[in-house]
Amino acid sequence: MKSADMSAIRRGALFAAACVAANSLWACAAIGPKPWEKDVLARREMQVNPYPLQTATDEHIYFSKEAASGGRGFAGGGCGCN
Amino acid sequence: MQLNSGNGACLRQTLATLSLGLLSATLGEKTDRAYAQAQSQPDSPSGNSGQLIPTSKELDSSILFYQEANGRVRAIEPALQYTAHGPDSQTFNLGVIADSVTGATPNGAVPSDHTQTFVTPLKAPGGSSTTVTSASGGSTVIHLPPTPGQIAAAALGRQYTTPPGQLPVDRGFHDQRYGVNVGYSQPLGEISLVGFGGSYSIEHDYQSISASANIAQNFNLNNTTASLAVNYENDSSFPYGGVPTPLTVMTPQLKSVSSRGRSRIDIVAGLTEAMTTNWLVQLNYSYGISDGYQNDPYLIVSVVDPVTGEPNVYLYENRPTSRRLQSIYLDSKVDFGPSVTDVSFRYFMDSWGIKSTTVQVSDRVRLMGSLYVEPEIRWYQQSAANFFHNFLVTGQPLPQYASADSRLGQFVGLTYGMKLGFDLTRSTEIYLRGEFYRQTGNGHPADAIGQLKQQNLFAGVDAAYGMIGFSWNFD
Repeated sequence: MKSADMSAIRRGALFAAACVAANSLWACAAIGPKPWEKDVLARREMQVNPYPLQTATDEHIYFSKEAASGGRGFAGGGCGCN
Repeated sequence: MQLNSGNGACLRQTLATLSLGLLSATLGEKTDRAYAQAQSQPDSPSGNSGQLIPTSKELDSSILFYQEANGRVRAIEPALQYTAHGPDSQTFNLGVIADSVTGATPNGAVPSDHTQTFVTPLKAPGGSSTTVTSASGGSTVIHLPPTPGQIAAAALGRQYTTPPGQLPVDRGFHDQRYGVNVGYSQPLGEISLVGFGGSYSIEHDYQSISASANIAQNFNLNNTTASLAVNYENDSSFPYGGVPTPLTVMTPQLKSVSSRGRSRIDIVAGLTEAMTTNWLVQLNYSYGISDGYQNDPYLIVSVVDPVTGEPNVYLYENRPTSRRLQSIYLDSKVDFGPSVTDVSFRYFMDSWGIKSTTVQVSDRVRLMGSLYVEPEIRWYQQSAANFFHNFLVTGQPLPQYASADSRLGQFVGLTYGMKLGFDLTRSTEIYLRGEFYRQTGNGHPADAIGQLKQQNLFAGVDAAYGMIGFSWNFD
């Protein structure tokens, strides 16, 4: 692989790690809430996939325009668009 | 029954639905809602959890409007999803989707400083001429020498031209796709959740059928969910004019092979962790095996003169028949109070030499009442497949595999947009989205020859799309 490719991947990975770390540090208080403490986690916007049709639409667009797919769910696109 | 064992059991079940909802995104399964319902009385640890999951139904609908720049692909995609939740965490879902796609799509050839002419099989199944009355979509219908056994009237081709300096695109591209998916899941004994699903879709020249199964188990006071899902997909490609022989010269004549197929197995192992009262983390590992016909039967590769760079001939592309894919996906979602921030990261690699990194960030900001806005940005990068070539050169050895499909080349994709949503009533929500997606790549590679040095060889996408979604919850 070209060094430019590796550099781009490293930059992407570094950016992702920074985002996750910042995201995590802000909320880090204790690992694992008690059952009666999950009211916030129960909200729709806190579900991992709160809008499946929106997710499926985005995944379908990216599947038809990019080489990588999946990760969040199954990678197959179910269409001949790629 | 686990539901009657207390609130913790209820949470265990619903966390399982949370995880499986992610894993089955492509099936449109919406088990997450059951999780939300189960959490609706979180301060009642001694309550009867069986009452926390009422029987309910949901109807989700959306319509997508997608348009690429320069008159390229335009798509309209309506979708409908029905979900029913039973009293014991059973979930049934049924979804339908339709695609209507038109516009111009790159054919893989490089631009030239001369007019280029391409002739492809006419898009009429079987080569019938009964419905052919005129040219359309910037193409001209022409008569061809009949192949053995073919009547002369049915020997037709579709010819289109590309002006000098422009990217060759086929403006006769149009297709419709119709798909349906179904899924069912429920707790089973000591297993938190077991589910099955299937999907089917059909296009003019493509068919896909798949079946899936998934299982999830909760641990650690229900704060941890481990899940495993497997999906089998079988696809058939039956292109207009038949399946071309790879790396042979582009021809409008009908091919003897009418269809080819491929199969694919994907496995996704996931771990979901409720870190705190407002922080959720998801980690997935995916592995896929795809065997069979991987080519795009309509894509070609230019073979250019080694001095002038002018195209001499066009060959059908050829890709390896086997592909192994794997990815790691990490998602972190935090509710800060005034907003919910979602950050995800994916690293992907496959046996074709493609490596990709994706980072996506969104922040859902609560405004007055139920109104919210959600800006979003996504950064995507991929390296090229090891058989990607912008062009081949006359006189040089023909490689075993070659494709000029820009989707297999190196590029960066950037998406940014905004979502606006609010509750129309207590049981209905509507949202609007607007997104811009642009790919950038190297249009002037160092190995460009002759006139190709003056051409932009990158055929990436510049698109905008909007989406309207509506959901309705009812008993």
